[in-house]
Amino acid sequence: MEESSELPLDAKSEFVDFQWKLGLAVSCDGCRSLKLEGWPYRYVAVMLKVADHSGQVKTKSFEMTVPQFQNFDRRFKEIAAVIETM
Amino acid sequence: MAAGELEGSKPLNGLLNALAQDTFHGHPGITEELLRSQLYPEVPPEEFRPFLAKMRGILKGGGGVGAKDVAGQKVNIWAENQSIASADMDFNQLEAFLTAQTKKQGGITSDQAAVISKFWKSHKTKIRESLMNQSRWNSGLRGLSWRVDGKSQSRHSAQIHTPVAIIELELGKYGQKSEFLCLEFDEVKVNQILKTLSEVEESISTLISQPN
Repeated sequence: MEESSELPLDAKSEFVDFQWKLGLAVSCDGCRSLKLEGWPYRYVAVMLKVADHSGQVKTKSFEMTVPQFQNFDRRFKEIAAVIETM
Repeated sequence: MAAGELEGSKPLNGLLNALAQDTFHGHPGITEELLRSQLYPEVPPEEFRPFLAKMRGILKGGGGVGAKDVAGQKVNIWAENQSIASADMDFNQLEAFLTAQTKKQGGITSDQAAVISKFWKSHKTKIRESLMNQSRWNSGLRGLSWRVDGKSQSRHSAQIHTPVAIIELELGKYGQKSEFLCLEFDEVKVNQILKTLSEVEESISTLISQPN
């Protein structure tokens, strides 16, 4: 269940906070038609607060589609399950 | 031979693909001359230009496409800027639209209509996703990998295990290189996140909209 990855030790940041909002994209330049399949589409916007090794807090923002978010959620559940066994 | 008469479907399919890349997938820089020399080498440039404009107009539309004077002749603008992509036609509408184009003066042949129809059906989903991605100006989540380390401290007596989750997020803006964010979470923080994620999930369920 654990996946390994090459993670240089000094690049790690500590997770501080997770803010989110649920958005609905209704239209955009280049897709004038509202009938475009899949539009309007929901997305989850995330603002992560992390502290680097010097203690400085930075923010990182990103977006996920709903399926991506559900996968994200699933991964965290897997992690929690592993931690629980330790 | 005129461009319209050359219809094996390969060149037109190639052209439509190139137009889709250029207009929908954000890969500009496909020049007219490149397309002509690769796909329609026997067609002279002054004939290729209106042909290209016609196909672009049918696929994407947009004001003014085909409106320019070409060697003193006004290129026909049809369907008042209606195009396949902007109107997002269903298949019946698509067939009707293309049939109408075959009947117009300076329109398309029925072979061309068949190629366009087939192309659009297979590319519609790709184009929609591409438009979604291009309009997301924030970073997207491209990947996630994780591992759990059991940090243990022991000197003489009992070992103390404090598991730590290390999560690497791969983020990236459209068309840009990925950046990697490597985060450490202890058990408390993992549970805190899980709680937040279930709040998000609840919000998603209560928001009434079409599924993605």
